[in-house]
Amino acid sequence: MPSSPDSDTNSGARREGHTESGPESRLHNWVVSNTKLRLLVQFVTWVSVLTLFTETVAAGNGMTLSKQPRDTLAIPRWLYLATGGATIGASALLASFVTDRAFIRYLHSWSFPGPTIDDWRTPIVWIGRGLGIVVLGLAVYLGVTGPQLPTASFTILVTFVVVRAGLPMLTYLGGNLWPVLNPWRGIVSLLPTGYRTYPEELARWPAVGGLLLLVWIEVVFPVSTIPSTLSIVILGYSVVTIAGAVLVGPNAWFGNADPLSVLFRFFGAVAPVKRRDGKLTVKLPGSDLTDSDLITDTSDVAFVIALIWELTYSGFITTQTGAATIEALASLSNIGVGAVQIRAILIYTLLFVSGYVVFFAAYWYAGVLSRRRTGTYITAKRIAFRFAPSLLAIAAGYHLAHYTGLAVSLSPALGMAIVSPLSPPANPLTLSPPGWFEGLSIAYVLVGHLLAIWAAHATAYELFSSRLVAIRSQYPFIIVMIGYTVISLWILSLPGATPPYLP
Amino acid sequence: MSYEGTTVPRRDSPAGECDYCGHPFPTTDRLVLHKGLEHPQELDADEEDAFISARADEEDELRTLRLKALGALVLLYFGFLMLYAIVA
Ligand SMILES: [Zn+2]
Repeated sequence: MPSSPDSDTNSGARREGHTESGPESRLHNWVVSNTKLRLLVQFVTWVSVLTLFTETVAAGNGMTLSKQPRDTLAIPRWLYLATGGATIGASALLASFVTDRAFIRYLHSWSFPGPTIDDWRTPIVWIGRGLGIVVLGLAVYLGVTGPQLPTASFTILVTFVVVRAGLPMLTYLGGNLWPVLNPWRGIVSLLPTGYRTYPEELARWPAVGGLLLLVWIEVVFPVSTIPSTLSIVILGYSVVTIAGAVLVGPNAWFGNADPLSVLFRFFGAVAPVKRRDGKLTVKLPGSDLTDSDLITDTSDVAFVIALIWELTYSGFITTQTGAATIEALASLSNIGVGAVQIRAILIYTLLFVSGYVVFFAAYWYAGVLSRRRTGTYITAKRIAFRFAPSLLAIAAGYHLAHYTGLAVSLSPALGMAIVSPLSPPANPLTLSPPGWFEGLSIAYVLVGHLLAIWAAHATAYELFSSRLVAIRSQYPFIIVMIGYTVISLWILSLPGATPPYLP
Repeated sequence: MSYEGTTVPRRDSPAGECDYCGHPFPTTDRLVLHKGLEHPQELDADEEDAFISARADEEDELRTLRLKALGALVLLYFGFLMLYAIVA
């Protein structure tokens, strides 16, 4: 049984201590408990209980899946989904046992200082951005002139294996390197900039639009199969980015409007390695997700939800159920006008937009419910802002679940394309990931959600003075998170397929 | 903590406002807890005693809540144990 952190004996001991000391320190002791040993005992109890619990469920799910082909589960699908949802609910119940503010603050402020890097920053940035510019130029050039086989194309492999899969993983598992590598920022730093001031009221909305547009292009156009098409898209992206950054200045553009930079900044908030005051600092993963300055606008919430929805959507349309849904909707919409491809693209778009709206509305409504149920005077908007960073852990878990397989299977091909970009082998080597990768994906989704549950718990304690209110305020968000988990686990359990009607 | 993101519903009358930062609270115990947590250096003896007793009440309620959470966990665990025994 997880021992209650503020048990009788502890508070008794503290009460005795107070009689000896003056009133100021008496109060101080109530607010900040001082025994490191207590913290350690609580930490070990908490971590071991949580690990035991999640490993049992995740391993149980993973094993049953890995022994079977993807479409025949050993247990009924509803039970598998219910177990996943219950894992999230149970961990939220477990988190409610941790009621010691000092302990929570201790975990979230723990850090290990690393080397000072500011002396090295300028040369590193020059080298990194130089490398970025070379890779960008090669990608555009080789997409047109190089081999047109997807698994042999430098352009496709760099875009999807490195930028889409590998770099985000590096960002949330390690630290955010994008500001160092960003080729467009490198190009813009050589140009005169800042002809207009960036309109503050736009906030991060351009980045939200940009991210959704990029994903839509990825779905509708053959960017992952025809290198020359991808080259044109990269060129278009470059023109928009450079023009925007020249117009409003690089800081405003890459901080607000550039979808890639905003994406890496948000994923970097989950990461353990941070740059603080010119030093590299190691923190516990996700401990910065309680920061109040991470999400400061509705557009930030929209961006975080877009990250979750994008991965859910692209997962769904590549399953047999997703393909069947699209086909059914396409035949339903057959009213005699328009080619089936055009209607299919409309259906893909409609599904993409409406699903996003549902995901966003569900989260926003959780904020409204949280305010109503606790009777707090803090606005629903501010509650939604504060809890939104915890969703980044969920997005990171989804990303890892969806892209590990792709990164592993195409990494030999990427190596070949880098070594000889113009004359790659006719039959590039692709690895097929072993069956237990499926089980691992389920574990990634669950671990992401567990981190999010913890982050939400810690955030609630920062936001509300009463700990009972803090616990009650989380309930609507936990229900939304259970919903996201069940949907994601459901998609992972479906057999794969190629999305229909697309070029 | 900054309290700019707060509104008081029209029908509601707050139980009190923080003397130090002006933040309104719907109940007295939340106000007392807030003062003790956010402004521990500025409290007088009465406010301090109020904080300590509010803290003790909160502790009691938390204990009840933990018991309920434990009950829910046990129910969940045995519920799933039975489901697995029946289905799988
Ligand atoms: Zn105050």
